[in-house]
Amino acid sequence: MFITFAFITLLGALGMLLQKNVIVAGLCMVASFFGVAGLFVLLANPVAAALQIIVYTGAIMVLVLFVIMMLNSHEEEKAETSRPIQRWVSVALVAVLAVGAVKLVLASPGLKSLAVSGAPVPGAMTLQKVGFTLFADHLLGFEVAGLLLLAAMIGAVALTKRNL
Amino acid sequence: MTGMDAILQGGLQGYLVVALLLFAIGLATVLLRRTLLMQFMGVELMLNAANVALLAFARFRGGDAQATVFYLFIIAVAACEAAVGLALIIGLYRHRNTTDSDRAAGLKQ
Amino acid sequence: MNKYYWLIPILPLLGSAFNGLLGKRAGKSVVTVVGLGVVFGSLLLAISAFFAMKALPDHRLILNYGEWMGTGSLSVPFGLAIDPLSGTMMLVITGIGFLIHVYSVGYMHEDEGYARFFCYLNLFVFFMLMLVLGSSLVLMFVGWEGVGLCSYLLIGYFFETDFAPAAGLKAFLMNRVGDLGVAIGMMVLFAAFGTLTVSDILTQAGHLAPEVGFGVLTFATLMLFVGATGKSAQLPLYLWLPDAMAGPTPVSALIHAATMVTSGIYLICRLAPVFTLTPITMDVVAWVGAVTALFAATIGLVQRDIKKVLAYSTVSQLGFMFLGLGASGFAAGFFHVFTHAWFKALLFLGAGSVIHAMHHEQDLFKMGGLKAKMPATFWTMLVATLAIIGFPGTSGFASKDEILYLAYLKHPALWVIGVIAACCTAFYMLRLFTLTFLGKPRDHHAFDHAHESPVSMTLPLAVLAVGTVAAVWLGWPKAFGGDFRIEAWLAPATTYGQLHAAHGEHGSHQLAWGLAAVSTLFGLGSAVFGYFSYKDGLAVSEARAAKFPFLHTLLLNKYFVDEGVELYLLRPIRWFGNVLWKLFDVIIIDGVGVNLPGALVRVFGDFTALFQTGRVRNYALSMALGAAVLLYVFLK
Repeated sequence: MFITFAFITLLGALGMLLQKNVIVAGLCMVASFFGVAGLFVLLANPVAAALQIIVYTGAIMVLVLFVIMMLNSHEEEKAETSRPIQRWVSVALVAVLAVGAVKLVLASPGLKSLAVSGAPVPGAMTLQKVGFTLFADHLLGFEVAGLLLLAAMIGAVALTKRNL
Repeated sequence: MTGMDAILQGGLQGYLVVALLLFAIGLATVLLRRTLLMQFMGVELMLNAANVALLAFARFRGGDAQATVFYLFIIAVAACEAAVGLALIIGLYRHRNTTDSDRAAGLKQ
Repeated sequence: MNKYYWLIPILPLLGSAFNGLLGKRAGKSVVTVVGLGVVFGSLLLAISAFFAMKALPDHRLILNYGEWMGTGSLSVPFGLAIDPLSGTMMLVITGIGFLIHVYSVGYMHEDEGYARFFCYLNLFVFFMLMLVLGSSLVLMFVGWEGVGLCSYLLIGYFFETDFAPAAGLKAFLMNRVGDLGVAIGMMVLFAAFGTLTVSDILTQAGHLAPEVGFGVLTFATLMLFVGATGKSAQLPLYLWLPDAMAGPTPVSALIHAATMVTSGIYLICRLAPVFTLTPITMDVVAWVGAVTALFAATIGLVQRDIKKVLAYSTVSQLGFMFLGLGASGFAAGFFHVFTHAWFKALLFLGAGSVIHAMHHEQDLFKMGGLKAKMPATFWTMLVATLAIIGFPGTSGFASKDEILYLAYLKHPALWVIGVIAACCTAFYMLRLFTLTFLGKPRDHHAFDHAHESPVSMTLPLAVLAVGTVAAVWLGWPKAFGGDFRIEAWLAPATTYGQLHAAHGEHGSHQLAWGLAAVSTLFGLGSAVFGYFSYKDGLAVSEARAAKFPFLHTLLLNKYFVDEGVELYLLRPIRWFGNVLWKLFDVIIIDGVGVNLPGALVRVFGDFTALFQTGRVRNYALSMALGAAVLLYVFLK
């Protein structure tokens, strides 16, 4: 199951990276997010999986696709000048980072000891647990997050409205 | 369980490798694509990669609810970013009639 | 009355402000009334103040209007000090000043800048009164600088011409040199006495013994004397005065003959008790005065411009005054200031009258025979000429003889120089007089149009002539049965109860008679010689000039001093300035100091701007690179 969801995630992401058409790329990203939600289920965290689908694949992706439709420019514009240095440095950097980080993760003894199957498997995450933690320990953070969302909403309206 | 088994069967390292590759692809999207929308989506991917890593750690260190709460905060921030970022893209498109970030190089001067 | 005396200097200031600000709109008649009225008002107040001071037992009327500035141990009062010295000077300034104001009404009536002229003239009277009456050296210095400013403004009055502003600038610059000396002298005096109030300095100086050798006071007095040479046109700073004749003639009479140029002498008289303590300075003063008297008189022999002759005559007479001061004859020197103020003002105003009549012709060689046309000017000029050549019985004779007598007592050589200078004076004055009024007219066109000047000009001439004659009453020498009362009169101011006042060894009356006889004979001889040289026109003198071509050229070109200054002083300074400009200013300050850092910042900015592409992807890439490096460093 893990392999399946991992593949869905990474293939979706790769598709997004390589796809010329923006709409298709967006749909690829939806697939990728679904994969991530599956991984969350495997991590015994159905709450997070639900949130992932509701917020990302639901809200944010709809927003993105809506904007794509609105702008009506589905193909990437032609580059004014090709920038080979930028391109190859980027590719090299990403490759080095990915390979280096993966090697680092695989070689780390601490992670290995954490990953042993003998570790106690806790019960699945429940909404009740999340609720207790959120409203007991992080009430202030919750309020701030709400305020931040409000500010972002007002900002977005202010930015897009033509005649404020 | 050896390393490769852990990866293939969904041990901690497996999740981390997926997260890292997801992050790398997101970064590559930001760096290689010129359309602002694509770059924006790359950023979302990178955020998701962080989420995967976070929740994987939480699961393998005792299944605490704290991580889930932080995940909640992260998607709140991501939502804000989406709202403001997309508004900016629309604004740019209105003024310059483009979503190519390379053509919006007016900050240079 | 005491509480109104502050108006003495302030009235002319108000008049100046009115004429300067509103004069042009108010019209000439209002300007005349205001300009003359304020000076007349301060003349009346000055007379009142003079008698109030005379009634006091110690002849010292000090009016204090509070502290002007106080810092540390320095306290400068804002006050007026009226004593015999400053009182006499005050009367001369307001009295002769008023006559010259009256004269200017006639002389300047056609001029465009009538209001401006009276604005400057009133302002000058204000500053001159501040100079004379200031109770502290600082206040005197304000007046000192102020009269310099007015002098500059009035010399450059005809600013449309080329030479007048240049002459004004020259006067100003030369006076700057002297003013620096005064400022240094003041500071040293403050260091020595701890005060700048004149009466305090003089009281302290009264208790000191004369300085032996070169001490602090010698330095201070020498510096003050440098200032005096600047203001009073002595060697080596005399060059500006002949050029100052570019100004209107009443200005030459008031500022450059009667009042301002004598302020150097006034300064020394004011601080006489201090100067008495410094024998070295006194020697310098005497010798500089004597040499200047001779030097300027010889130049005066050959000048063609009537005002230039009078200008060199003024320099020469000022030299006489310094000679008198240097010989410890403060009263004699100041008496000469007094008599000179009358007759030189008269000479200048008479010359102005002639110039006015001849339609601004100033060349002596084009005049002649004006006696018939201008009787009033002729007779008053005759009085002044007799006075300046020292005709026995005139005021000029009295003051000059006293100076020469004291000079002989100091050093016979000084007397010889003085007598030669006096002979030259007699010669050039008769030359001027003969060429102007006697003989036949040489320029018939100008002669035919010549006319006597209006009453507003001849009346002051008459009053000045009376003053010239009457001045003798103040100081007929003791040797000839007089009482030289000005000496006793000034004593409270010049000795200030000094314990060690220098009493020149008094020679006998026979000596005085003998010296006077010799100098008078020589003087009258040269006067007669001058008359006969020019009574039949220019032929005789031209023949003589041809006989001594070198001497003639030398004198005609004023010993080439101006050219020498240009060649050996100004040109190197200009060259040096150019070097400083091109090397120091342009290369070092502008280049290395200002433009180089700017260029460095610009180059650095251009370099870093290469990284500011404005493209988001580039920024993201560099951010990612940075993050990668950090990761490598921390996780290695």
